[in-house]
Amino acid sequence: MLRSSCKKFLGLGFQKPNNNQTFQQSSSLLVRLYHERVVDHYNNPRNVGSFDKSDPTVGTGLVGAPACGDVMKLQIKVDDVTGKITDACFKTFGCGSAIASSSVATEWVKGRQMEDVVSIKNTEIAKHLSLPPVKLHCSMLAEDAIKAAVKDYEAKRAKLGISAPADVAAPLP
Amino acid sequence: MASLTSWRCLVRRLSLLKFASLQPIIPLSSAPTSFILEPSKTYENALGSHTISSRAFCSRPSNLNDAQGPAPIDYSSILQEDEFHKFADATIEDLQEKLEEYGDCVQIDSFDIDYGNHVLTLKLGDLGTYVMNKQTPNRQIWLSSPVSGPSRFDWDRSDEAWVYSRTKANLIELLESELEQLCGKPISLS
Repeated sequence: MLRSSCKKFLGLGFQKPNNNQTFQQSSSLLVRLYHERVVDHYNNPRNVGSFDKSDPTVGTGLVGAPACGDVMKLQIKVDDVTGKITDACFKTFGCGSAIASSSVATEWVKGRQMEDVVSIKNTEIAKHLSLPPVKLHCSMLAEDAIKAAVKDYEAKRAKLGISAPADVAAPLP
Repeated sequence: MASLTSWRCLVRRLSLLKFASLQPIIPLSSAPTSFILEPSKTYENALGSHTISSRAFCSRPSNLNDAQGPAPIDYSSILQEDEFHKFADATIEDLQEKLEEYGDCVQIDSFDIDYGNHVLTLKLGDLGTYVMNKQTPNRQIWLSSPVSGPSRFDWDRSDEAWVYSRTKANLIELLESELEQLCGKPISLS
């Protein structure tokens, strides 16, 4: 049921060209199909889920707005000692490209240092998914979501008075 | 299926929630520093009047610097919707005319311009495709460029121009320089 409601938003119904359409129209329909990687991430999304927002090792990035058609929530779980992202998850409300972009983002941040992942560029995501021009904004949103998650984690650490990942002994307020 | 239920909750909650002018949630391009969701004033958007609760989903950064944090942007005070449409439509339609003339001058196979549903699509064959459209809730023009990727332009009243806040790029100048770079012929779009 989730899938069928998603399809409404995703517009993933593959149109069958009827006999009246010219070859040119058919080929333009073909051009509009999602790339197989996008379809794969839609059918088999990686890391869908949610972490506890109040967990001090979790950074949450929430970007976009329903009015614009896209909302992404990307969360990272960071190892306090090493600063490495041990786990990531996402939830996205939006088109297939947005879902795929955020799914790819969670795959790419896992196992990397927090400082490294802010250098993930939307162009890399877009290239990986072969996003068409009109969907490049989705990849930018995914990049923003990663940065927002990292920023949130760092802000949490600052609030708790912990300046460096190594300081795990600081008591919670 | 617990995740299914909770996901549907998220979607339902999002559709019920009201929007405030939210600096972080909409335009990260306009406000790179803050991710606070704080309900301020309501504003009329395409979905009717809504304000968003900050409790459900947002990440709250440190409270230490609240006083220094940038204030949430109230888009209705920056640009009313009808004003936005006036400026944006004028810009895009003007670009369309000039690009059509440009297309007559340059020798590019499958050069094509299409303007439909307020979306301007400029195809330059193998050189790539530009897509420009209005993003009314944000009062922005969104551009997708084969050279510089996606950008989001806000209307700058003082300069009377569309500016991408992250790079300070001007929409017209960006297009002029990219098109000259791609097609080899200079163009004046202002």
